[in-house]
Amino acid sequence: MSSHRKNIFLGLGIAILLALVPLLTKRNDIINIMVLIFLYICLAQSWNILAGYTGQVSLGHAAFFGLGAITTRILWVGGYPFLMAFTTGGLVAVVFALIVGHPALRLRGIYFAIGTLGLAQILKITVGNILPTVADLPGDYIATYNLIPRYYLFLILAVIMVVVVYLVGHSKLGLGMVAVREDEEAAEASGVNPFRQKMISLAISSFFAGLAGGAFAFYQVSYYHDLPFSPTWTFDALLITFVGGVGTIVGPIIGAFFYAIFREFFARAFPELHVFIFGTLFILVVLLLPGGLVEAVSRIRRLIRAKKTDTGFS
Amino acid sequence: MNLQVSAQSLIFGIFVGGLYGLAAVGLSLVFGVMKMLNVAHGELLMLGGYVTFWFFSLYHIDPFLSLLPSAFVLFLIGMGLYKGLFSPLAKLHEEVKIKNSLLIGFGLSLVFHNLAIRLWTADERSVSVFYSGWGFSLFGLRFPFIRLAGLVLATIVILALQQFLTKTYFGKAIRATTENWESAALMGINIEKTSMVSFALGAALAAMAGTIVSVGYAIHPAMGLEWTLKALIVVVLAGLGNIGGAFVAGVLLGGVESVSALFVGPYMEVVGLVIFLLVLELRPQGLFGKRSE
Amino acid sequence: MLEIERINVSYGDLQVLWDVFFEVKKEEIVALIGPNSAGKTTTLKTVSGLLRPFAGEIRFEGLAMGNMPIHKRVEMGISLVPEGRGLFPGMSTLENLELGAFTAKGRNCKEETLEQVYQLFPILKKRKKQAAGTLSGGEQQMLAIGRGLMSKPKLLLFDEPSWGLSPLLSKVIYEVIGEINHSGVTILLIEQNVRMALQLAKRAYVIENGRIVKHGDGRNMLNDQHIREVYLGTESV
Ligand SMILES: Nc1ncnc2c1ncn2[C@@H]1O[C@H](COP(=O)(O)OP(=O)(O)OP(=O)(O)O)[C@@H](O)[C@H]1O
Ligand SMILES: [Mg+2]
Repeated sequence: MSSHRKNIFLGLGIAILLALVPLLTKRNDIINIMVLIFLYICLAQSWNILAGYTGQVSLGHAAFFGLGAITTRILWVGGYPFLMAFTTGGLVAVVFALIVGHPALRLRGIYFAIGTLGLAQILKITVGNILPTVADLPGDYIATYNLIPRYYLFLILAVIMVVVVYLVGHSKLGLGMVAVREDEEAAEASGVNPFRQKMISLAISSFFAGLAGGAFAFYQVSYYHDLPFSPTWTFDALLITFVGGVGTIVGPIIGAFFYAIFREFFARAFPELHVFIFGTLFILVVLLLPGGLVEAVSRIRRLIRAKKTDTGFS
Repeated sequence: MNLQVSAQSLIFGIFVGGLYGLAAVGLSLVFGVMKMLNVAHGELLMLGGYVTFWFFSLYHIDPFLSLLPSAFVLFLIGMGLYKGLFSPLAKLHEEVKIKNSLLIGFGLSLVFHNLAIRLWTADERSVSVFYSGWGFSLFGLRFPFIRLAGLVLATIVILALQQFLTKTYFGKAIRATTENWESAALMGINIEKTSMVSFALGAALAAMAGTIVSVGYAIHPAMGLEWTLKALIVVVLAGLGNIGGAFVAGVLLGGVESVSALFVGPYMEVVGLVIFLLVLELRPQGLFGKRSE
Repeated sequence: MLEIERINVSYGDLQVLWDVFFEVKKEEIVALIGPNSAGKTTTLKTVSGLLRPFAGEIRFEGLAMGNMPIHKRVEMGISLVPEGRGLFPGMSTLENLELGAFTAKGRNCKEETLEQVYQLFPILKKRKKQAAGTLSGGEQQMLAIGRGLMSKPKLLLFDEPSWGLSPLLSKVIYEVIGEINHSGVTILLIEQNVRMALQLAKRAYVIENGRIVKHGDGRNMLNDQHIREVYLGTESV
């Protein structure tokens, strides 16, 4: 319980500090990087629920992100209040998830992975092409554009996302998900309904991916018309989660932080170099360090502790 | 709908379809032997195309002549990749192995994609030979020489592969490993070596497809995902590991896509993807595959 | 020729063999008998290299097998006719046999061995072109045995060669095993049909719950009270 409490206080403290950032600095570049970090946290964490906790490696995450983005954008630009557009975006993503969930989750392992990849590509080609008109915000929207509310929207979304993953991870539901990940047959034998667990996991995952897309639609002034459905969103989520530490709560946060920083740092001289770096790290993680950076840190800590006790005795 | 137009697009569809088949055969071979789905297959194809492009622009080697050299380069790269990245997975439990190989392939595809942008920029490139415009007409239908040559070459490569797999001892070892690796090992077949050669062969086949693509069509760093998807669709249509079926399914996909382009225009790629999902759902063993058990 | 020195084998966390030991001498037929799940198949798999013991050692012709890969053991002369036959169902009968002769030694005298196998099982010659998966159960077993012979092994391991066969066909198979042995091949045999195995084998080991509990002369074992009660279903006389 006490560690529970400690975690909550720590998280709360960080969230409050982050909420103060816009008051302390007026530099848009810093705010933008922070927005990017929050976006990546949502993207990765929502993927992590499905893949990390429940073991269903989806390559179709971009579909939900895209649906959320495009729904939010259309409604918002169409004159509806933003929050309504935003929530609807998340819901549309969930509805789509519930529709495709049944056939998709019947597929196992790599079949699920390539099936969801195909599904996302279908959406990219169809929806991404049919509705290109909202790629640029209308002039009056641009005139009143203000970065600060976007910052808070992303911050709140990221905080909620992390809290949800934390709560799920520490609940019976989360235990069921992990059981399904470890061994579906065994989970079923011990009374867990694997399909239900996977479906709930997919629903949560797609809802937050949709919201992340909606926030992106609120934030991005203009984009290439099928960008919301670009498979890059899926790939980003995978890289961030694995390099950070798949199936952990801290991993995607650390991963998102470094991914966004690298991206900004190399943006001028070597655009996309962050993907190369993370791609390489990703391969190394899969081969050598399945727990990602989180595991690396805890290993190093253990080493240092061992050293300390060593010198203490000698 | 004009019959002439339909027939013409069907012909072009078959030309492309032969390449889909060639791309898929390599993927299928590797899956069969190692039960690993290499999602970086499209990037290997892309690399093969660029190697040919390099041979052409640096040394003025005719792209069709660099079919084998390019395949050889990718064969070596394939061996390296197998040794460094995929072989360590062999000891893992079946399910984990498949999942991790998918992840590694995925990481590789991103790395190669980026590398290609660095080395050759993100622009589209194509090898333009002096005979690019050659061709002939038959019943009012056009047959461009380079595309026809591409299809013929793809067919020859596949037939050669068939011969290799059915007539040579090593080819039989590959098939035996595909069917039952434990029994294959009990025959004295070195599974590690067979896997390495198969993986390298898969890369070489991808390179040959990439070479042909670089002449008749265009190459660019982002093409990997497209081609991996095409190959995946074909492999799933044919049934995973079914090499002969893959070529037929490739031609079929090319034909269906181009004919449906007449009706749905830019959404033609959706047709292949929808068929892909349907087959995955309803007949996981593929259209031409036999149901096991 | 083959010495098994206290091997311990597990699947993941589940240990199934405890200090299993036995010995097969040159040109002997040795039977390994025991109830279902005793660990017989596991033992043969370990000898052929499909599984590795975490303790203990296997010696073949005096040489410790250690971590020697499977195909190297085949080259040394160990051949396994596995449980369930392990054929390549999509390949033809002839191709299956050819693959049996994959090793350099096997390939050198492939044609000659092939003739010998056809002599033992003439039906295989007739079914040469047929896919192995479409052969009848008996034919499949003959093919599995024939394939095992193709590598010219010194030691042939059989995992339930009479499994799924009629009594008549089992007898034929056993006669063939006898013949193979006469031609100088050492044989280690697992069998459910204990009576038949003990009649054929020179010596036998009994494995129960992953441990060797008894061993002795084949014929003497037939009269052993424990064996009679548990495996032959007859009271002692
Ligand atoms: N791949 C495996 N994974 C886990 N446990 C296994 C595996 N193979 C066998 N076992 C277990 O090991 C034990 C011994 O199995 P083994 O196949 O060696 O028995 P056996 O003596 O050959 O039995 P049978 O006469 O029924 O063929 C059994 O309890 C079995 O369930
Ligand atoms: Mg057995």
